[in-house]
Amino acid sequence: MRHVFRLPDVGEGITEAEVVEYLVQVGDRVKADQPVIRVETDKAVVELPAPVTGTVTETPHSPGDTVKVGDPLLVIETEEKAVKAPPEKKEKPKEAPKAPPPEKEPLKPPKVAAKEEEGPVEPAKKILATPHTRRLARELGVDITAVKGSGPRGRITDEDLRETAKKKEAPPPKGPTAAAVQAPATAGFDFEKYGPTKRVPLKGIRKRTAEVMVRSVSTIPHVTHFDEADVTELQKVRDREKTLADQRGVKLTILAFLTKAVADALKKYPMFNASLDEATGEIVYKQYYNVGFATDTEAGLMVPVVRDVDKKSILQIAAELNELSRKARDRTIELEDMRGGTFTITNVGALGGAWATPIIVHPEVAILCSLRAMEKAVVRNGEVVVRTIMPLTLSFDHRVLDGADAARFMSHVVALLEDPLRMLVDVA
Amino acid sequence: MDVNKMKEMIGFMDPEGRVDEEVFKGIPEELIHRMYRLMIFTRLCNNKALSLQRQGRVGTLASVRGQEAANVGVGLAMEPGDWFLPSFREYGAQFARGVKAIDLFTYWSGDERGIKPPENSRVLPICITVGSHLCHAVGIAMQARIRDEKIAVLSSSGDGSTSQGDFHEALNFAAVYKLPVVFAIQNNGWAISVPFGKQTATETISQKAAAYDIDGARVDGNDVFAVYLTVKRLLDAARNDHRPALIELVTYRMDDHTTADDASRYRKREEVEAWIEKDPIDRLRKFLSRKYGWDEKKEEELQAALTQEVEETVAAFEAESPPEPTDIFNYMYSEEPWHIREQRDEVKRTVGESSR
Repeated sequence: MRHVFRLPDVGEGITEAEVVEYLVQVGDRVKADQPVIRVETDKAVVELPAPVTGTVTETPHSPGDTVKVGDPLLVIETEEKAVKAPPEKKEKPKEAPKAPPPEKEPLKPPKVAAKEEEGPVEPAKKILATPHTRRLARELGVDITAVKGSGPRGRITDEDLRETAKKKEAPPPKGPTAAAVQAPATAGFDFEKYGPTKRVPLKGIRKRTAEVMVRSVSTIPHVTHFDEADVTELQKVRDREKTLADQRGVKLTILAFLTKAVADALKKYPMFNASLDEATGEIVYKQYYNVGFATDTEAGLMVPVVRDVDKKSILQIAAELNELSRKARDRTIELEDMRGGTFTITNVGALGGAWATPIIVHPEVAILCSLRAMEKAVVRNGEVVVRTIMPLTLSFDHRVLDGADAARFMSHVVALLEDPLRMLVDVA
Repeated sequence: MDVNKMKEMIGFMDPEGRVDEEVFKGIPEELIHRMYRLMIFTRLCNNKALSLQRQGRVGTLASVRGQEAANVGVGLAMEPGDWFLPSFREYGAQFARGVKAIDLFTYWSGDERGIKPPENSRVLPICITVGSHLCHAVGIAMQARIRDEKIAVLSSSGDGSTSQGDFHEALNFAAVYKLPVVFAIQNNGWAISVPFGKQTATETISQKAAAYDIDGARVDGNDVFAVYLTVKRLLDAARNDHRPALIELVTYRMDDHTTADDASRYRKREEVEAWIEKDPIDRLRKFLSRKYGWDEKKEEELQAALTQEVEETVAAFEAESPPEPTDIFNYMYSEEPWHIREQRDEVKRTVGESSR
């Protein structure tokens, strides 16, 4: 007997979920309560178990598809024969949507989750392919519905896809399933017209970065303030204290000193440690100082957060920074280690570049970018001398802060960096 | 009133299932087997209900996995004449007191009929409101005192409930009136996403007893013998000498707070894994094999029999007729007031009635 497993409300009042992956494929035998699919709701990623024992006959979605509550997820053929009418299932009035169904819904919203019914799930041609193969199809930009499968019962194999991709028979595929930015800006562009392209879905960290950046630039009026710090003395201090740091197994960086200077500036100018609560129209001054560090990893940009930088020594900050960036690169970092930041520093020094205008991490109000410190000829007391100069740029939210604030904040940071002894005398 | 003694963790069985012979003389072998059976049954029911929730066949529910010893130990320690007031993560204790497993499924499907405890069971319906039933327990204990009944009352709630005003009111009244009531706290480490360290400034919950001048005890909640014997001792003191008590059962919620929660957002996997190592059922199984030659064959037979029982329960649950939409009006008043009648009529008019 044909059993259609429909997406239930797995949270409290969710309306849809995104398919993460099928844990089984067409043709597999499944037992009741065995996990068959992973879906992501706005609350959590959850594994859904099969309601009945039988053989999987249809897996109508691909990873990344959004499925509405009540839509079919999976079809299982059970061994029971549908001779007599199935026993009347317990109706659950709470699940019956009261609103009339939208007019152009291709699939009618069902009355009850997990109930047998006749007819195919999708009127479209049935595609036999594993989730892995479906993903490969998207990566290769191949329209899987146009591929003829060479596997058993016409199942599409990875080889079939590669062949198709090589022959370039594939018509231009649909765009990525879930673009962060609403697509219209690029709709209608025929990227393939002037040469071959490769399509990769916007997902994971890349997708999240896109979302965060769009939210930031579309809500925050950015202004960027530029300055330079003479870090000649600071480098000497760093070189001198390196021995101690090495003994403790810590890589002592200029960044750690910069962080301490920023912590002091945040205390002196608390509006840089604030957020704008747009809902209530209030400025929220945070009384904790957690600095996020934009970190370049293979998987993409991550921002681990060092907490309570105002209470930690420069060496402690350096040690935590070492540890967090290692975890970020290994991807062993916990979500919690990337939350709760109140200000962000991005250090692109090592990668080169003279200047940069960073984008604020919403809902923070400012971000400081440090660039490569280089020897430059500068004038001191009427003489041209060689000093090590580090460029700094500060982007701020002009709703909360003004240019004068940025100048004061930056001058304070620069003063501390130029006279590291002052950190000893004046920084709590 | 020795606060330091209240903070000491009472435990009789180590993680390998080794027990000091002297300590558990008071527990007959048959009872130990009953404990084990109930703990496994509780877990199987719980896991089945979670699975059904993910299939859309029951509603939101709270998983009790990890707390079976703290549940079952409490449930079995009571005498038939004692009153039990559970919160919403106490299936093991409810089953021990005769509540039917089918009611668990019915209740978590939003059907109020599932909340009715068996006649004369002296078990109250599940209390979802956090902490309020501690005051109800005090009220029942007070009537028992007035009628001079020789019984005890036990309320069970989570660590989060100790931050409610009701907790303090209940303990204070119990102490002032010397009432036969025991407040059991299932300290599973998390009140939804609030860790125990943020719940209270005190090192333990049990030491709070000192502030009210009542008995306090702290027990390894994954050691079913320690739970059973300590709760029993405190209930006896409550029943015979009118001594109220606060007992903290230190255990762990292995799953999400409810099916609508995602605990991985606020706690680390390592923490959960460390507690899975301390699984209360594994610990009792090790004891059984050490002491009574419990083997894989017996384990398989028991698992199979109980799984069968759970599946039959689910089949019976799904064969039940649905509740009437107007059932929600049935259980508040013995005589229906006019405004409730009006609302009932309105629901009938707009929603109609099912075909029951």
